[in-house]
Amino acid sequence: MTIIHVENIRKSFGKNKAVDDVSFDVEKGRIFGLLGPNGAGKTTTIRMINNILGPDEGSITINGQIASPLTQKMIGYMPEERGLYKKMKVGEQLLYLTQLKGMKTKEAKEAIHYWLDRFDASDWTKKEVGELSKGMSQKIQFIATIAHDPDIYIFDEPFSGLDPINSDMLKDIIIELKNNGKTILFSTHRMEQVEQMCDDICLFNKGKAVLQGKLREVKASFGKNTINLEFDGDGSFLDKLEGVRLNNRSTNFAEIRVLNGQNMQDILKLAMEHAEIHKFERIEPSLNEIFISTVGEDNLKAQRLEEAQ
Amino acid sequence: MDFSKIFLVLKREYLTRAKSKSFILSTVLTPIVLIAFFGFLAWIMTSETETDKSVGVYDQTGVLVENLIALDSVRYSNVSDLPIDTVKAMVLRQDLDAYLLLEEKHIETNENAQLIYKESGGLAFTGSVRSDVREVIQEERLSRANVSDEVKELFARRPNIDSQKLTAEGESEDDKAGFMSGVGFVLGLLIFIGLFGYGAVLMRSVIEEKTNRIVEVITSSLKPIELLIGKVAGVCLLGFTQFTIWAVMYIGISMAAVPIAGALMQDQISEMADTQDIEQVAAEAGFDPASLEVLSIDPMIFVYFFLFFVLGFFMYASIFAAVGSAVDSEQDTQQFMPILMIPLMGAYILNTRIMVDPDSTLAVVASMFPLTSPINMITRIATTDVPIWQIGASLALLVVSFFGVMWVSAKIYRVGILMYGKKASFGDFAKWIKQS
Repeated sequence: MTIIHVENIRKSFGKNKAVDDVSFDVEKGRIFGLLGPNGAGKTTTIRMINNILGPDEGSITINGQIASPLTQKMIGYMPEERGLYKKMKVGEQLLYLTQLKGMKTKEAKEAIHYWLDRFDASDWTKKEVGELSKGMSQKIQFIATIAHDPDIYIFDEPFSGLDPINSDMLKDIIIELKNNGKTILFSTHRMEQVEQMCDDICLFNKGKAVLQGKLREVKASFGKNTINLEFDGDGSFLDKLEGVRLNNRSTNFAEIRVLNGQNMQDILKLAMEHAEIHKFERIEPSLNEIFISTVGEDNLKAQRLEEAQ
Repeated sequence: MDFSKIFLVLKREYLTRAKSKSFILSTVLTPIVLIAFFGFLAWIMTSETETDKSVGVYDQTGVLVENLIALDSVRYSNVSDLPIDTVKAMVLRQDLDAYLLLEEKHIETNENAQLIYKESGGLAFTGSVRSDVREVIQEERLSRANVSDEVKELFARRPNIDSQKLTAEGESEDDKAGFMSGVGFVLGLLIFIGLFGYGAVLMRSVIEEKTNRIVEVITSSLKPIELLIGKVAGVCLLGFTQFTIWAVMYIGISMAAVPIAGALMQDQISEMADTQDIEQVAAEAGFDPASLEVLSIDPMIFVYFFLFFVLGFFMYASIFAAVGSAVDSEQDTQQFMPILMIPLMGAYILNTRIMVDPDSTLAVVASMFPLTSPINMITRIATTDVPIWQIGASLALLVVSFFGVMWVSAKIYRVGILMYGKKASFGDFAKWIKQS
């Protein structure tokens, strides 16, 4: 069942087309990943789903209802730029944020109590957020996002800025929410998280959705055109290969994407001449590779350069 | 518009600020600072800084100098017997601050007497010497003209006016013009301080939500306009709490102070009045014990104060909020401050004119123009009888422009709160207004 339906939405800021004719569906009870480099339009799309911004064109329906203050209550949203009132006490703050989502005071208090307990944070209620460590306030942020028990959870770049412990904890929460039948949508530019967690993906580039579908199907559609090579010895032969792209290269490992339908046996032969081969495996491309080949390597380099500046 | 959410925002905004130390401190300190300020002003205005200057009188007529010394024995001394060069040398050595050259012709003709000093004399000093000289010369002229004591008496009397106000019922009542124009000015000043002070509080609060990065979490729960209204109303209520506390303090102090001040004044007056008529002394001092009653202020003025403060605050606060939403830190607000400073400072400066001349065309226009009316109208209302249609028109204009300004500000606010790390300009404002 479709729970978020995005249809032909566009959003421009001045001349900049931030989102340009994007459509996708998020199925209930699944984890949906929005991927793409910074500035691809992920955050703008997410803000429109949250009814923080309105689309210039197109429509967004949540549970069959047009995005509105009513649908905001069905969503728990953790933005990329996140924060809390520093001078407000944890308990008051959570109550305020949960009430704003339309929860009644009593239920809100119970929910907050439950989650604070879960995170071993009950002692913090009377503390001001400014007194908490970064990791602690990240936990409070999670609680603020999920305490009103919505059906849909949207996390914008959830793992950026998290310490490893909280990063794992958030992963567990997401899996747990999914097991409880909730729907999760998150955006990221880190592919390995998507590979581990997502059921469905939508790939953004320059305001357009360039690739979407079930993660397995997307990967399968690219075929087993990648070689997973483990070897011992001098790896410099890899530089002589033509018509390939090397990903994840290290001293005794390389992921080789074969372009132009080149014969893989030739690569194996060359490899055997120069090094001792421990493993030679044909695999589906990694999501990172899919991303690069979809968006185009040159495009991506230019974009990364822009980001770095 | 979801009022329960607006109320939640209002409640948070109000409670967190009302409980803060800075609020409690400013509530207590502001009246003290104000009283100290006005006390200082009164001290400056009444203190006679010229008394310690010494003036040598070089009198060739032989009759004027004694009268001058009789007027002020500290200031004037007789140097008529010394050679004029010695007197000049004394002034140069600053044994004397100045010397006064009086000759026969100054009594007989209209030629002016001469006051010669080394350093700048100061307006107050020369003015006071002038009036002393005028008095003794006039006295001398009168006695030479051989006029009767009655005529002298007539000249000595200073005619004055008692001002009274005609009310609609045809009866005149004691005019409190002096006191009321003071009250008017203070009320205007309070609104000025309120608009500025609480506007800045709101602006900081908007910037805080932006820099804390909480604003996006909040806007995923409610509309920006709801957040804006809730915040403005919360800070407005905060201002009201403070004003109410001050009003209670004022009433309390004046209830205690009036009898005490009245008693003190009576003592002083009866001391001074050994030989003279009490009323005349009091009138000369510009003070009538009964005038302490005027410390009571017509309650309607407070109703108008409330109306103009609230409407003015909502209008200005929405501009403050728009400015706050466009920046990442308080320092960045400076380029936008003129749009707030110019009308507010303008209204404040106009107020100094309006309190003395509340019925002039300038006063009427300023009290109608929505950007200045919150400050200028309340001063007029306190100072003069403003026709009700003018108050109505002023309020109506204020309401209309409040909606207009709020509408534009809300558009800037909506876009601004989600813009991070970019310094906005006036050009961006225009873009954002178009965009949303």
